[in-house]
Amino acid sequence: MTEIAPRLNVVGADFARKDALPKTTGSAIYTVDVSFPGMLHAKVLRSPHAHARVVRIDASCAATMPGVHAVLTRDDLGGVNPTYGYFIKDQPIVAIDKVRYIGDAVAAVAAETECQAVAALEKIVVEYEVLPTVATVAEAMADGAPELFEQEPMGIVPAYGQGASAARRLGRNNCYRFTYETGWSSPSGGAFEGCDRIFEDRFVFSRDQHFHLEPFVTVARLDGDVIEVWTSSQNPFPLRKELARVFRHPENLIRVQVPYIGAGYGAKNNCKTEPIAILLAQKARRPVRFCMTMEENFLTQCQHAAIIDVKTGVMADGALVARQGHIWLDSGAYSDASPLVAEKAGYRLPGPYKWQRLHVDCDCILTNTTPAGPYRGFGGTQASWASESQIDIIARGLSIDPLEMRLKNLKDLGEAYVPGESGMDSDLREGLNVVAEVIGYGGRKRAAGRGMGLSVGFKDAGGVNKPAQARIKITTNGDVYLHCGSVEIGQGIHTALSQIVAELLNTRLERVGYPALNTDYTPFDQGTNASSAIVVMGQAVKLATLQARDRVLEFAAAQLECGTDEIELDDWTIRKGNEAHPLAPMIMRYYGGTGYEFTGEGVVKAPMDHAAPLETQCVSWEFGWGAAEVDVDTETGLVRLRQLVVSGDAGRAINPLVCRGQDEGSAVMGLTGALFPCMVYDGAVLLNGDGMNYRVPLATDLPARFVSVLQEQGHGPGPYGSKSLGEGCLLPVASAIANAIEDAIGVRIRELPLTPERVLAAIDRAAID
Amino acid sequence: MARELAFVSFRVNGRPQDIHVRPDEMLIDVLRDRLGLTGTKLACDVATCGACTVMIDGAPSASCATFAWQADGAEVKTVEGLAGPDGAPDPVQRAFAENSALQCGFCTPGMIMLARALLDRDPNPDRETVRNWMGANICRCTGYEMILEAVEKAAALQRGAAQ
Repeated sequence: MTEIAPRLNVVGADFARKDALPKTTGSAIYTVDVSFPGMLHAKVLRSPHAHARVVRIDASCAATMPGVHAVLTRDDLGGVNPTYGYFIKDQPIVAIDKVRYIGDAVAAVAAETECQAVAALEKIVVEYEVLPTVATVAEAMADGAPELFEQEPMGIVPAYGQGASAARRLGRNNCYRFTYETGWSSPSGGAFEGCDRIFEDRFVFSRDQHFHLEPFVTVARLDGDVIEVWTSSQNPFPLRKELARVFRHPENLIRVQVPYIGAGYGAKNNCKTEPIAILLAQKARRPVRFCMTMEENFLTQCQHAAIIDVKTGVMADGALVARQGHIWLDSGAYSDASPLVAEKAGYRLPGPYKWQRLHVDCDCILTNTTPAGPYRGFGGTQASWASESQIDIIARGLSIDPLEMRLKNLKDLGEAYVPGESGMDSDLREGLNVVAEVIGYGGRKRAAGRGMGLSVGFKDAGGVNKPAQARIKITTNGDVYLHCGSVEIGQGIHTALSQIVAELLNTRLERVGYPALNTDYTPFDQGTNASSAIVVMGQAVKLATLQARDRVLEFAAAQLECGTDEIELDDWTIRKGNEAHPLAPMIMRYYGGTGYEFTGEGVVKAPMDHAAPLETQCVSWEFGWGAAEVDVDTETGLVRLRQLVVSGDAGRAINPLVCRGQDEGSAVMGLTGALFPCMVYDGAVLLNGDGMNYRVPLATDLPARFVSVLQEQGHGPGPYGSKSLGEGCLLPVASAIANAIEDAIGVRIRELPLTPERVLAAIDRAAID
Repeated sequence: MARELAFVSFRVNGRPQDIHVRPDEMLIDVLRDRLGLTGTKLACDVATCGACTVMIDGAPSASCATFAWQADGAEVKTVEGLAGPDGAPDPVQRAFAENSALQCGFCTPGMIMLARALLDRDPNPDRETVRNWMGANICRCTGYEMILEAVEKAAALQRGAAQ
């Protein structure tokens, strides 16, 4: 299969998104809009205690309340596997022996209205035996700290390749450790031998909540033996697998449908509202809708807070030599995706630099707080915060300009990240120079309290060992169905993949339809995450499209009694020299009046490779180059962002406007962790977990100059040289601002968020030193 | 709680609606659940994020924090009612679509209603006016710049159409 010389009429153009019309007219259907006759509404009773044994639950009165059709407690879990999770199955559908954080689900009710369900919850009597809590990583690891799990929950440690390993339960409340090392054991006098200087720093990372506007929501119903859910999920196939395990039900009798998703930013992976909705639907024999409130979102999933120790050895000329890191992620009360986030945070901590020796441990520590899970950047945000802050600290310590320091040490285009890994698919120096130039780093004017900082955000993208399948159908009239499992969560993937299909078929974008995801019909996909859709699914879509196109050309060539090299496809007309042969009549003449559908299938998967640390080589490397300029008021500690410049490399932008939206959106999301309060806990009590008290950036919070520069360096593995995009520009924001603060006032802040209180404290500390 | 119903008579997208509502029933629930206008979205439920923004007598209002009875006698407009009589999209809808000023789309109906209300008051707002006005609503996806540009483009489209 070879491509026709690309015309690129469709790829690279700023077409309006395929979902623009439904989303601007209000006709777009989200899971919150799905409704059935007789549908009940679920509400959940949540734990008021951060850690307690559940002594007794009496829900008998709730069952008799008006409108109530089903009540769910631990007594109703008989027929199911009652816990779920990614690697470790430790999270119960509703509390069994204990509750482990404030907000842990204890019981649920399905009633005719949400008000009735809430009223019934108030009638459920729960007797708790309150236990001591651990609210922070330090408390959870302390000698004698109470353990969230006295027994080891069921789970696995996956196989890793060269240099990587993992273990479980290495210490108190430690649910998982990921370790990566290379070149560590070889030097006789220690990994830092020969280094001129060693820098050691501890960085602290707060936790943001995703603040997706569409809540966690599921509508479940039974269709005969089929368990059917409409749900706001970004990984419907793994969800189906997990539901099959939980409900001991055949996978082909579980139907997951995903309408438009009101965003997720990582939160909408794996089980959330689904198990409770299904159990209640089974008990009530009616459709059940379980839609959380925003307050409940805050009690369901958040980012990982982290403590990150980094020790780096360098030569006097600034050459980086060795780095040792230890990350402690605050996993909250259940393991959730923590093992995966640990793998990524640990693997990414070195950053894209020319190291000789590396050793990183990343521990997941359970605490009595909201379970932490996937969040845009997936551990890379924590890693980039620490790594890129320390690169600046080292540069300043050696009296080297931070830009020069990075240019000296960044990996080259094509250079492997670590032994056994794939090579960098962007020119990192080119990328960094772009943001330095746009912000005016070189010729910047000095002013009191004003400074600039740079950062290189970095992550491996495309997922690990990720398969994807796609199917193309073309009707007699040349209308195209693109069947694939990449969910439209806001990133514009329906548009981008449709543009690729239209380009390959040399047809118009409006000809390509993208049917809603239904696991009964949609080809398998591992999930819409890890910035994988364009580089992994994109390749499957391309293969499927080319196969369908070749079948069309072979059919036409046979009808026209010529070779396929003599004809071309031109918007469902076959061109043969100067002749034009419309395909529809040709198809109907051969196949009969109702015609035919041409199909194509595409499958991709990165090959297994034990020499690669994560057992497959990284598909695409995602970068976000960032530059910030700040004014710091040393009286109040207020950091005012004057300029923020971010840049990602799309490789080849399939739709540049959509790419721009991804870069700018991720950068502003990064501002939350940098400058906003994030989740504030008093002990194990979350103080600001609702829409009124939680502050996310508004249009009025943007800097005076906010610029995104979309690079198209052309080295990506996806169709037309495209690359992963959409998370990168979040990664450099916090460290670029912290670096700018030090540039401005000479003090270093190692703890996020960069609040006025912390700035003032750092100024005071610097004065004492 | 008093259970008597209130009789509410109002117009929604130009169509008269006469319905009985509970005293504690919110406008957004009437719009979504009883009138089937699901374009308006509920997110924060505390009148902060603006996803539920509709126009009540021309004023952008949080329908999640407005009792249905408060709309008695009013003209309520939702995103479904913005298109012209010939079905042509409102300039704000057109500009949001053409500028890709949306991603997940959950805030989009509220953003569009907010922008419509701005342009009704000021057909030629400068960037700071647009920024301050649109700062009332939360979008977690876009980073706002493309939304602000779309509002300015809508103003230009509208002025072009008026000439």
